[in-house]
Amino acid sequence: MKNNDFEFKITLPIITPLLDDIEQRILSPLSCLREYDNYWMVEFDLPMVGKKNIRVTFNQNTITVEAKLREKYSEERLGKITKFEYFKKSVLLPGKIDSKKITSKFEKGRLEIKIPKKTDGTSIKIN
Amino acid sequence: MKISKPDTQENTLLVGFPSNGLVGTFSISYLIHHLKMKQVGEIEVADLPATLFVERGEILGPIRVYSKKNIFIVISEVPFNQYFAEGFAYAVHEFCQKNGIKKIVIVSGMGAVNQSKEAPKIYGLVTDQILESVLYNNGIPKFLEGSIFGVDAAIISVFRKSKIPALVLYAECHPFFPDPEASIIAIETLAKILDIQIETQDIQNRMEKLRIQYRNLMEETIRTLQHNQEQGKRTPQIYR
Repeated sequence: MKNNDFEFKITLPIITPLLDDIEQRILSPLSCLREYDNYWMVEFDLPMVGKKNIRVTFNQNTITVEAKLREKYSEERLGKITKFEYFKKSVLLPGKIDSKKITSKFEKGRLEIKIPKKTDGTSIKIN
Repeated sequence: MKISKPDTQENTLLVGFPSNGLVGTFSISYLIHHLKMKQVGEIEVADLPATLFVERGEILGPIRVYSKKNIFIVISEVPFNQYFAEGFAYAVHEFCQKNGIKKIVIVSGMGAVNQSKEAPKIYGLVTDQILESVLYNNGIPKFLEGSIFGVDAAIISVFRKSKIPALVLYAECHPFFPDPEASIIAIETLAKILDIQIETQDIQNRMEKLRIQYRNLMEETIRTLQHNQEQGKRTPQIYR
């Protein structure tokens, strides 16, 4: 067991609430946002999804992920069966970011988006 | 609750509850289903907000007891905050005392951010040297360093002062998402410890659907774990 296998995070991750859209048959995926020294890491859990069916868009400080499920997912709620076809969720990033250097990877049905922070601070002279 | 179940073999209790990756929930539920275990009772935790589940018209409590031969299971469908974690740990201990349990095995998840592409690993932690041989004989590496909080910590704290030894299995898992893949390694390890055959194909086939199905429980569990973690922070006064 290596020590670096475990998380050394700056803050507790932000878990955005799940709000499924039954009318539009859209599931809200689990996601988490973690802050590191120089970047933000946003992760989305997208099971039953192929890489080619994922669309990620970025607008100001909001990142939106949409994905089509490989097959319909049925769930009974209050006696009614809904067949969901999509995942969709938007996550608001709390700080300034460098949108040109965003990278992502998709493995085991989990999408990781690494978003570098923008540093425009001024240095302070120490007397 | 007392269950009349004297057996010549050593009574073993398995415990599962929502934690990292929902590893305990998946693996213990799968065992109940796969071994066709019968529900024999429920456990009550004082002051726990009233929660009931209805399944095919049947009313079920959130903490249930199952058994088959010398194997007992306690499974909770609800995550516990720090306050209820202690109540749950004492209730499990009381159950063990009343039912002649000789050892307990807790299944939990260990959140690992940089998960390797290989199969998840599993580690064991024991409260009594008597169970060291179980780790050794089954090739389970010891959990050597780290901090534990929440229900795991509450159960370990109660059982390390007890004569009933406890073994905690920690399967490496995703820290914030349901991880049925990690639960498979936990199921296989439990099968070795209990010396039983368990086929995992069924859960392997359903892994992706389980991740969708259990999103809400995972979210609720993470919020509870975060709350426990924040409560557990002990910053020296000078740094506040």
